[in-house]
Parts: sequence; structure tokens; C-alpha cells
Amino acid sequence: MSKARLIDTSKCMACRGCQVACKQWNGLLAVTTEQGGTYENPRELSANTWIRVEFRERSGGWLFRPHTCMHCTDASCEKVCPAGAISHQGEVVTIDQARCIGCGYCVEACPFHIPHKDEVGGTSRKCTFCIDRITNGLEPACVKTCPSGALQFGERSDLVDQGNRKAQQLRAAGFPNANLYGEYELGGLHTLYVLTERPSVMGLPENPQLATHAAVTKWLAGIVTAGVIAVVPFWLLFRRKKELSEEKQSKVEGGVK
Amino acid sequence: MNWSAPIYVYLWLAGMAGGAYIAAYLTYRFTGANRQLFRLATYMGIPLAVIGVILLVADLGRPLRFWHLLIEFRVTSPMSMGTWILMAWVLIAIVLAVVWWGERYFSNGLPTNLKRLTDLLSGLNVIFAVLLTTYTGVLLAVSNQSMWAGSVLLPSVFVASAISTGIALLILGAMITNASTEARLALNQFSFAKDWKISNHTIARLAEVDAGVIIVELLALFGYGVWLANSSLEGAGESLSVLLTGPLAAPFWIGVVLMALLIPLWLDFANWGKQIESKAVARAIGLSSLCVIGGGLILRAVITIGGQI
Repeated sequence: MSKARLIDTSKCMACRGCQVACKQWNGLLAVTTEQGGTYENPRELSANTWIRVEFRERSGGWLFRPHTCMHCTDASCEKVCPAGAISHQGEVVTIDQARCIGCGYCVEACPFHIPHKDEVGGTSRKCTFCIDRITNGLEPACVKTCPSGALQFGERSDLVDQGNRKAQQLRAAGFPNANLYGEYELGGLHTLYVLTERPSVMGLPENPQLATHAAVTKWLAGIVTAGVIAVVPFWLLFRRKKELSEEKQSKVEGGVK
Repeated sequence: MNWSAPIYVYLWLAGMAGGAYIAAYLTYRFTGANRQLFRLATYMGIPLAVIGVILLVADLGRPLRFWHLLIEFRVTSPMSMGTWILMAWVLIAIVLAVVWWGERYFSNGLPTNLKRLTDLLSGLNVIFAVLLTTYTGVLLAVSNQSMWAGSVLLPSVFVASAISTGIALLILGAMITNASTEARLALNQFSFAKDWKISNHTIARLAEVDAGVIIVELLALFGYGVWLANSSLEGAGESLSVLLTGPLAAPFWIGVVLMALLIPLWLDFANWGKQIESKAVARAIGLSSLCVIGGGLILRAVITIGGQI
């Protein structure tokens, strides 16, 4: 049985308590922020901000969504990490800070743009799912502090059932696009969302792909291109020309004889 | 920006090193001559790859941990595969260079077994060179940045560009070698030869081959764009507009389309079949090669930067 976190965006009131609790528990540094024209603060996730409430304004109200690591079952960051620093500890995707070389590949590979390189320490960092807490029977700090019950922690199968029921209720209550996100995406996410709108409206990819998707085809594309170049310009212009000139020469020689 | 100048300069240098090796090996094998061109490609490729690696290591967040790459072999990570491919290519190239250097101590040429071994290693290194040039594209393509991951043809563009820039490097290297006594003497220190000379005929034919490679690159780039425009990956279509009409349109159209592709193509076709004893032809082919090399860098830059916009 694996654990998961369910984030119900219909309950989130954007108090940003989760952001503060995450910073406090994990000892993350404060970052200099700037006014970006919305109430979002800071403007983006970073090596020192592992969860952040996104604000989307639209006619009739706001859409709020705390954005953090999904702890994917098929994790792109883990697949591409060349140093073996990223691994699954149960359901949790962790970056071993002692092994990370700071190449930044996980930053480019994540479909949710979660890991960030720490400019000071040089390594990639992201949400640890408070692994130190959950392995000791506690909830992650973000869940523990959430005053509205928007964030919950528990058995994944229970939260999937709960999320599906809630999405159904929301659809009946005038949110026709409400859905549960994360049940099947990337082999199943361990951060599940009850969304009141379509994923793309809430800042999530509708169909997140594993970075290594079609990797074999991409390797083959390059190799085949090298083969085409070897045959078309090189063989035609060097080998074929040489053969033609040799044939011509042997004909001339034959003629002389 | 997560990946910036050190990364795209590295992709350009590693591609050029691999591309020059592929081009010179094929020329050597198909013509049955031009052994010196093949050696020149190896000598030029080694420092380019080493400089690239230094850039790459310096760009790591924790450069002193670069050795972590050398204790892992991770098939799903193009960066891990690239590390091993690059290392294999450079090490074999160094072994070849050492054997060629040692040739002077064999008055009747290399012993048959050693010659067979170098032939085998030279051939094996072409496979590594192909994988090296491919990996520079796959590194970006295996990601979740729409401009990189949205089209399977990105590695094709990079391979074609690598071989094109490699040929241009060979042309310039051969021209410099032929023109400079000092360069020939220096090369003689590495590889003993009575006279270091790469024939003008070969240089002119290489320019023609480069025109062919550029056509393949043009087709690959067009295919890449069409694929990206129709990709199911979110944001792929929009990322194409970053190149075509967006903030990178000027370097893309001027640096890539004109400089790397159309101008060299025009210059190479204009001098098709001509010998480079004529100074005007030599200048045109030299200029074409410079454009290809410069344009190759701009191509890596716009794709690397564009993917992160």
C-alpha cells in the first residue's frame, strides 16, 4: 500500500500556510521576491521553495492550486539522472544531495517543472514529501498545517476513491470540468489533485509524458541520418565517382589493347 | 537559464569533433586515399572534445563530483550514455594518435597485427562518432521542453549539422596545413610523413560533399519543424513560433537558415567541379566553411536557449 497526498483545489483558499510550513520544517532559506502583478509569492518554485500556491484570476473568481512535486511512479527525473542521485524510496522520489552533481538534467526532464538547481549549493532540490516525517508516522508539513483540509495525506487507494467522489460531487454542483488528476498519469502520481477545471486551465499538462518517451526512436533518427549522409553525398561523390573513373580507365586500357 | 553557453558550445564542439571524424573516415575509406585527412580529423577532434568536456564539467553545480558520472552506467539517461560514448571516442582517438606517433620507430611501417588493430579501432571509433553526434541531439530531445522533445527529428538535425561543421573544419584545417610550413612541421611531430599535404582535389570534393550534407540538414530541419507543429506534446506548436517569429527569429533566420545553410550551399554549388588552385574558389570555399561552423554554433544556441524560453 502506498501513501499519497490529495490536494483538493475546491477547498484551497490560498492562505499559503503550506508554503510557510514547508519552509520551516525543511529549513529552507527565504528568497527575495518581487511583485509580479498577482498575489502569487514568490513568483516561481526554486531550490528553496518546494511548494507554491498558483493564482489564476478569471471572471467570477480565482483558481488556486498548490504546485509541488508529484512523486510520479514513472519519474522522468529519475530516468535521466546520470549520477544515480534520484531514486524512489517507496513512493517518494528523492534527490540524494551527496550524489547529485548539479548537471540540471532533471530540471529539463520534469513535465511539471519541479526540481530546481540551487545556485549556492549547486545541487538540484525539490519536495522530499517530508520523508523524515512520513517514515515516522507523521503527515508532511504542508498537509499538517493546511487549515481548510485542502491537503490530505493517506493511503493512495483511499484518496483516489475520495478524489473521484469529490470530482463527481463538483460536476453535479456546477463544475462540469471537475476531475481527479494523477490517478493514471505517469504510472500514477503520489500527489493527486481534485481540479475544478481542466488540467490545462489549472496549469498542468493534460497528457504528461515521460521524458524518455520515444527515446529509442530519437537515437535511431540520429543514427539513420548519419547512414543517409554516408550513402548519399559521401558514397555517391567519392566511391561511385572513383568506381566510374576506374571503369572508364579500364575501358580505355581495353581499347588500347 | 539552467543550460546556457557552456552547454551549447559543448554540443557544437563535440558534434564537430565527431562529425569531422565521420567525414574523414568515409573519405579515407571510399577514396582509398586521404590517410592524412583522416589523421588530421583525429588530431583536431581530440582537443575539441576535451575543451567541450572541460566546459561541461565547469558548468556542473558541483564540478568536483564529475566522477560520479564515471561510476554509473544508466541506459535511460542520454547524459550517462554520452559520457561513456565520449570517453570511448576520445580514448580510442588518443590510442590511434599514439600508434601513428610511434610509426616513426618502424622503418618498414607498422607490423601487420598492429596495422590491423588500428584499422579495427578506426572503424570502431566511427560507430562511437556516430553515437557521439547523435547523443548531442538526444540529450535535448529526451526531456520535457517542448521545442526539444516535441520532434524526434532533433537528433537528425544535430547529426547533419555535426557532419557539415566537421567537413567545414576539415576543409579549413587542410587549407591551413597546406598553406603553412609551420603547421606541417608541427603535424610531423605527431605523425611522421614525408610531406604533409592534403590534395586540393580532395578539399574541393569535400566542399561538394558538404553541399549534399547541407541539403540533408535542410530537409531534417524542415521535417523537424513540421513534426513539432503537429506534435501532441503541449506547447510544441508554440515553441516553433519562438524560432520562426518570436524572440529568436533573427538568429534563427540569419544565423541558421542563411549562414549555416543557404549561403554555404550557394557558395559550394557556385564552385562545383572547380579546382581550388584559383584563389577566388579557395576563398569562396573557405568562407563557406566559416559560415557553416559559425552557423552550427548559432543552431545549437537557438535550440538550447529556445527550449528553455
